[in-house]
Amino acid sequence: MAGIIGYGVYVPRYRLKQADAAIPWGGFGMGEKSVCGWDEDIISMAAEALENAVNHSGVNASDIGALYLGTASSPYIEQHVAPILAETLGLSPEVSVLDYCGSINAVAAALLSCLDAIEAKRIKTGIVVGTENRRVGPGTEGEVSFGAAAVALVIGDSDTIADIEGRQTYSTLFYDRWRAAKDSWVSNYFDYRFAREYGYQRHVSGACKGLLENLQRKGDDYDHVVFHQPDGRLPALAARDLKINPQKLAPDLTGALGDLGGCSPFVSLAGILDNAKPGAKVLVCSYGSGRSDAFSLVVGNQIEKKRGNGIPLEKYMARKAYLDYPTYLRLTNNLVRAPY
Amino acid sequence: MVQPAPASPLFWRFNPEIYQRMGMKCSDCGHITYPRRKICPECGSFNVKEHQLSKTGKVHTFCINWTPPPNLEPPIVNVIVDLDGGGRYQGLITEVANPEDVTIGTKVEMVLRKVMTDRGLNIYGYKFRLVEEG
Amino acid sequence: MRGKVAIIGVGMIPFGELFEMGLEEMVQQAYINCLNSVDKGISTKDIKAAWFGQWSGGGMIGQGALCGASLATMIGNREIPITRTENGCPTGSDAFRNACLGVASGVYDVVLAMGAEKMRDKPGVESLIAAGGGGGGILGLHPSWMLGMGGPVLQALYATRQMHELGYTMEDYARVAVKNHHNGVACPYAHYRFEVTMERVLNSPIVCWPLHLLDCCPQTDGAACAIVCRADIAKSFTDKPVYVLGSNTGLDHKNMWDKHSFVEMLSTVRAARGAFEMAGIKPDDVDFAEIHDCFTNTELMNLEDIGFCKKGEAANLLREGYWNRDGAKPINPSGGLKAHGHPIAATGIGQICENYWQLREEVEPERQVKLKNGIALSHNVGGDAFGVSCVTILSRSL
Repeated sequence: MAGIIGYGVYVPRYRLKQADAAIPWGGFGMGEKSVCGWDEDIISMAAEALENAVNHSGVNASDIGALYLGTASSPYIEQHVAPILAETLGLSPEVSVLDYCGSINAVAAALLSCLDAIEAKRIKTGIVVGTENRRVGPGTEGEVSFGAAAVALVIGDSDTIADIEGRQTYSTLFYDRWRAAKDSWVSNYFDYRFAREYGYQRHVSGACKGLLENLQRKGDDYDHVVFHQPDGRLPALAARDLKINPQKLAPDLTGALGDLGGCSPFVSLAGILDNAKPGAKVLVCSYGSGRSDAFSLVVGNQIEKKRGNGIPLEKYMARKAYLDYPTYLRLTNNLVRAPY
Repeated sequence: MVQPAPASPLFWRFNPEIYQRMGMKCSDCGHITYPRRKICPECGSFNVKEHQLSKTGKVHTFCINWTPPPNLEPPIVNVIVDLDGGGRYQGLITEVANPEDVTIGTKVEMVLRKVMTDRGLNIYGYKFRLVEEG
Repeated sequence: MRGKVAIIGVGMIPFGELFEMGLEEMVQQAYINCLNSVDKGISTKDIKAAWFGQWSGGGMIGQGALCGASLATMIGNREIPITRTENGCPTGSDAFRNACLGVASGVYDVVLAMGAEKMRDKPGVESLIAAGGGGGGILGLHPSWMLGMGGPVLQALYATRQMHELGYTMEDYARVAVKNHHNGVACPYAHYRFEVTMERVLNSPIVCWPLHLLDCCPQTDGAACAIVCRADIAKSFTDKPVYVLGSNTGLDHKNMWDKHSFVEMLSTVRAARGAFEMAGIKPDDVDFAEIHDCFTNTELMNLEDIGFCKKGEAANLLREGYWNRDGAKPINPSGGLKAHGHPIAATGIGQICENYWQLREEVEPERQVKLKNGIALSHNVGGDAFGVSCVTILSRSL
């Protein structure tokens, strides 16, 4: 059975107080979000998460058969960014290196592809990297809520710290968030109840229900439940649909780091694995653009042995420095000095 | 100032140098440097081999630049770093909260960072981050 | 040098922000001044070859690359061979060295060395970037290795290490500016002709810690040239020729990360060692010198590297007045790069003009240095990571 051999996260040092971005536009915000520094982007963040994951897993770069990167924040419409990461590891040209884009569900899609390749016995070990720093426009909801982070999972079929015992997709045609090729920022449908309840809630519940049926489980059989966190409220609504005790939900990160897009469920998972006991069952579910993928994990004995190899999420969360809103506007190219 | 695009052969040739920190070590005088070369710049020996530079080291010298080129946000801290395992590396400190934290002997580690953008293509390279103890 | 060489005339224009003059006019005025300076007269047709020191290659003035034909056109002489020389900040001195070699080889009797630089057709900041960050240094290297580099950064990396290893202070550096500005006030060719106090230097904005704005030389326009000839025919042009005893170029690694030390420049050490050997003299025999103080800390380092004092002693000697214009060994009586200005390719030949005039005792009486042996030295250091240095030794007698 394929599973996680090692994992790593990266969260940039910088934080923006969400209220700082909201108040000038007549909005409101609570908490903080993580922000890339001047010289950071999805690649620099991914490189750090990747290095942490490889160190945690103990695998050699020469054992890696695939590197799949998922992001909704690629700076390019045409041109992969994963080869940059492959270059840092010195991977052979025969290794399959790919970007998954088009939705914040792309990180989950990258994980599915990696699991497929391992289960089909095409490769023994692969790496999945998620990295998000979504484009925001001034005065938009994303400017207040979108955070930046990266996560990497080393996947294989031996020496795992957590086995992935099942997975289920739930996918329909649904528009709630999008960025057209010509757009510099993410747009969203303004009716919160329709977009979130019929988008997020329905898809997360759908994928999890299917997975529970396949495995003949109940929601409450899980010790930890990790759902994509677009805000602090929606995971609890999905948990209610699935009759899961909200106490089992992973801690909310949106107040500290913001909406981490495709990285969200996997950064949260990393936080859970940092402290999980062998034998613990973890339900993970992603969401993005009308698609959810649910994964059922069982933590193994190896987790204790590798614990010292990694850098825990809480260390990244504690390491922070604040930026003011004008600086953030400049960082996001939303405030530009006149050329002359 | 005409910058070659990241897609140019000049940049492509240096991929191993940039992303894997490949350099050279002289088998005769022991000099370690980058980029890779056929001749040791220190002693002229042809007897050189590839050498991967380590990621960690200590600041040998530094300065705090308040007037950097327009694509960089002041203050920037330029450093020359004595790498663990030999060789020196020239670069910038990243995540500078307080330039006073940098001094001769400060422990640093290399991290990949975006160093510039040309025609929409990003260029990456290593910068140094202060090693946080504990 | 085997074939003896003498300077018979020099010409320079006052350095500064010469917004009213282009490169061509600067060159022409320096050339006219030079020909007029030859005591017994000379004409263009007497000059049999020329070396044109020009560093920026037109990058600063948007005219494309400059070449020998550029100078031929400017001085109205297309009948002789002219080579453009470019070798970092010592470009002018190296053009002069090549001119001397042209004579010493016996191929030419009378030749010209010209150095000129137009820095201020670009705004100050742009000019600085073109000069330091992305000029020659970046070519052939990945930009991530040269990120944020520039003249002040390169020198500040040395200045920090000098403070660490030699105990130098920012006050020591400021004292160099005070001395050289004082010298510049009396020099009619200097760019900056005002006094500065220690306090003013230390209160000027930090450009690149530990260097303040007034620790840095200005961006200056200028042109300077010299005519050299076979020593045995020099007296037919002037009764007071100045002889070239030694002229040498020394090199070191072109990348900062290869340097063995950040308190010493081996390029200067090598250039000086070779020049002294060629001249058959010792550093103590030199009466006074013009040396490359692009930044104040550089002057202290150069004094030690040339051999005028031991490593770590230059700052103490400065405090004692040893390097003052009326001190035991006057350094930069012209004001140096710090006050006289640093129009790259003109700088080295400008120093040679100053030394020529000082040795002939032709400068304003209040700034005339005392001569004992009648020997003067000039020095430049620059190029990628200060990997190039030139030292030129002149004398009143052979």
